[in-house]
Amino acid sequence: MTSRPPSTPVARTRGVLLAVLLGLVLLTVGTVALEAAHPQLDTSGNAVAGVPPLALDDEPTCRRFVEEAPIDDIRERLRRDAAVERIREDLPAGGRISSTQIYLCPSAYDGLEVTFVGEVVGELLPRRGGAWAQVNDDAYALETGPLVGHRERAGFNTGLSVWLPEDLAARIQQPGRPALRGDVVLLTGTLLRADPADGGGITLRASALETLAEPLALEPPLHVLQVVVAAVLTLVALASSLWAYRRRRG
Amino acid sequence: MSTALKPDLGDLKLIGYYLGKVLLGLGLLQLVPLVVALSLGEWNSASAFAIGAAIAVTSWALSDALLATRRALTWAHGMVIVALSWLLGPVYAAVPMLLSGRFTDPMHALFEAMSALTTTGMSVIHDLDHTPISEDLFRHLLQIAGGLGIIIVVLSVFAAGGARITTLYVSEARDERVLPNIIRTARFIFTVAGTLFVVFTTLLIVALIATGFTPGRAVYHGVNLFFSSFATGGFSVMQSSIIYYHSAWVELLVGIVMIAGTLSFGLHLAMWRGDPRDVLRHIETRTLTVVTSALFLLLCWGLVRAGSYDSVTALLRKGLFTLVSAASSTGHQVNVGDTYLYDWGLLAPAAIVAAMAMGGMASSTAGGIKAMRVGLTFKSVIHEIRRILLPESALVVTTYHAGKRRVLRDATARAAVIVLLLFIASYLLGIVTALAYGELDLTQAIFEAVSVGSNIGISIGVVNPGMPDGLALVYILQMWLGRLEFVAAFVLLGYLVALARGRAHT
Repeated sequence: MTSRPPSTPVARTRGVLLAVLLGLVLLTVGTVALEAAHPQLDTSGNAVAGVPPLALDDEPTCRRFVEEAPIDDIRERLRRDAAVERIREDLPAGGRISSTQIYLCPSAYDGLEVTFVGEVVGELLPRRGGAWAQVNDDAYALETGPLVGHRERAGFNTGLSVWLPEDLAARIQQPGRPALRGDVVLLTGTLLRADPADGGGITLRASALETLAEPLALEPPLHVLQVVVAAVLTLVALASSLWAYRRRRG
Repeated sequence: MSTALKPDLGDLKLIGYYLGKVLLGLGLLQLVPLVVALSLGEWNSASAFAIGAAIAVTSWALSDALLATRRALTWAHGMVIVALSWLLGPVYAAVPMLLSGRFTDPMHALFEAMSALTTTGMSVIHDLDHTPISEDLFRHLLQIAGGLGIIIVVLSVFAAGGARITTLYVSEARDERVLPNIIRTARFIFTVAGTLFVVFTTLLIVALIATGFTPGRAVYHGVNLFFSSFATGGFSVMQSSIIYYHSAWVELLVGIVMIAGTLSFGLHLAMWRGDPRDVLRHIETRTLTVVTSALFLLLCWGLVRAGSYDSVTALLRKGLFTLVSAASSTGHQVNVGDTYLYDWGLLAPAAIVAAMAMGGMASSTAGGIKAMRVGLTFKSVIHEIRRILLPESALVVTTYHAGKRRVLRDATARAAVIVLLLFIASYLLGIVTALAYGELDLTQAIFEAVSVGSNIGISIGVVNPGMPDGLALVYILQMWLGRLEFVAAFVLLGYLVALARGRAHT
């Protein structure tokens, strides 16, 4: 009969460290599994209808003071594009520009009349003669709805600062909030690369507005399993705290 | 080869015992967003915070019951505890974040938590503009806890004696004790933060209401703005950051709070005592003033030459604000990240990168190399030049003012230069890793690596929810090293090497 050799302090020390590492791995795996079990909403009905196609089918870039040739190129392409000619006219124009395209070459769009479609989020900030609004044209605004109760992750919010004259601002029913998509609007206006009225910010000064989609409230389904796990772990935490308290006291 | 470190189970018990207290702090912190979530009916968020808090509190209870010890803390213990706290804290804080479903994977949730606690302020959250209020509040709470110093916040409340936690305070890259007693120092830090919170949050709320916010929303934005600004964190309630407010008054108030956050608590004490001379003579004040003034001129020249802006208002609201945000290591943005690359030319982003590298003051909530080290390095260079130019028999003495007049000693200068070089090494690590992915140019790689490594948070767009996990991991490492200013991280590494080689006591 053989007896087990006594564990050395070194082995015990390493064992403790391995146990801690294992605990962290379990914590991560458990959290991922719990998140994966989240009940999902169907987002197929959240896409906004009537959104005109983008006037440019790519995202051309230009770098100020580094490579300026593309600025003229983009302007030329915009001028050539029949859809963009319609942007310069009153609503409904056929083409639109995305905020991402603008930020990749702001100079190209400076002073142009453009069409922009997006969701009003946050709040309207009234000033004399109108209001500022943040209008997002990301996938959450135009396709999936706010990221609640589904897993259609589409990156950062992207959008433009928009100046709405009083009559247009008054037509906004509800800006977007948590679990709520705000009005989705089609705007026509002049894009300013360095708007003096906004301290030099990139803004769209809207002159016309059409509401494409009314506010949409999403009701995220309750993650029952997560609630159960939370309740069990809370009880464990309370019990272990009580145990620690008693053990320390005596 | 031998090592002085010989950690044994007793050391691990001691370390685990104090780590438990830090986790208790993180657990209790989550009760705040938990209550907010319950009151607003954000049930899934509430259960996520309950899970996060319960796991943290259970970890503390186990450590408190099983690892309690009267053994004294050594400096090495302090360093290891701090280094591990800044690793474990983000892991635990990432639990409710990951459960929110707003992060691409566990690595990105960890990135967000590390960014919050180290007050970097880079974010990889999906759809911030529709994020539940409690989840957003949690991100900002992590920033203020991390900015004030998670160790000092937690241990000054839960630990026993001041002498024991002094080692932890210093280990947490806080090399200037404001008051002789560490508990009094902690109380002073809380007093400063609390007073400024009341004053500036009130002013922000008034400014936001004047801007068009409802009172309730103004309180929500005002509180979070103060947290992220005073912590020099830079998270924002809306994805568009400070652009969202369209208000010069809000920008001014946020700017003042950012500057207050970047001042060392020693200078806060001097101002508190009505001694502005001490503030004006301090090497960090002078370094920050000189460097940021020079960088502002460079920035303006760059922006005007590139044709980005041609009005004084734009140079102040876009240029100066960004510079203050960078130099204070806050990271609030008044420009969309892409515009630094595509609309600012070359010189202006270079000025911002330089400001980000320097960062704020030592013993503040700020990150970066720190004005103290930049000032000391500059004085060391001048000292060496003088020594060479003067006769060999001449005694060259260089002094600087930091609380009192001090003689610049070789050891002090060497320590400053070493940390400065380590920061540069950290930047290089981030730059090379970003370039290795093959989709970025050098400007983007440099800008982002310096911003992350200095815990700033101004982004040129490299950090985003689609960022590769490998790059995210390197940025996490950079944020951690930047917050610890390397020393504690190296001691932890030494501990791990000693354990791996079996140099534990037998």
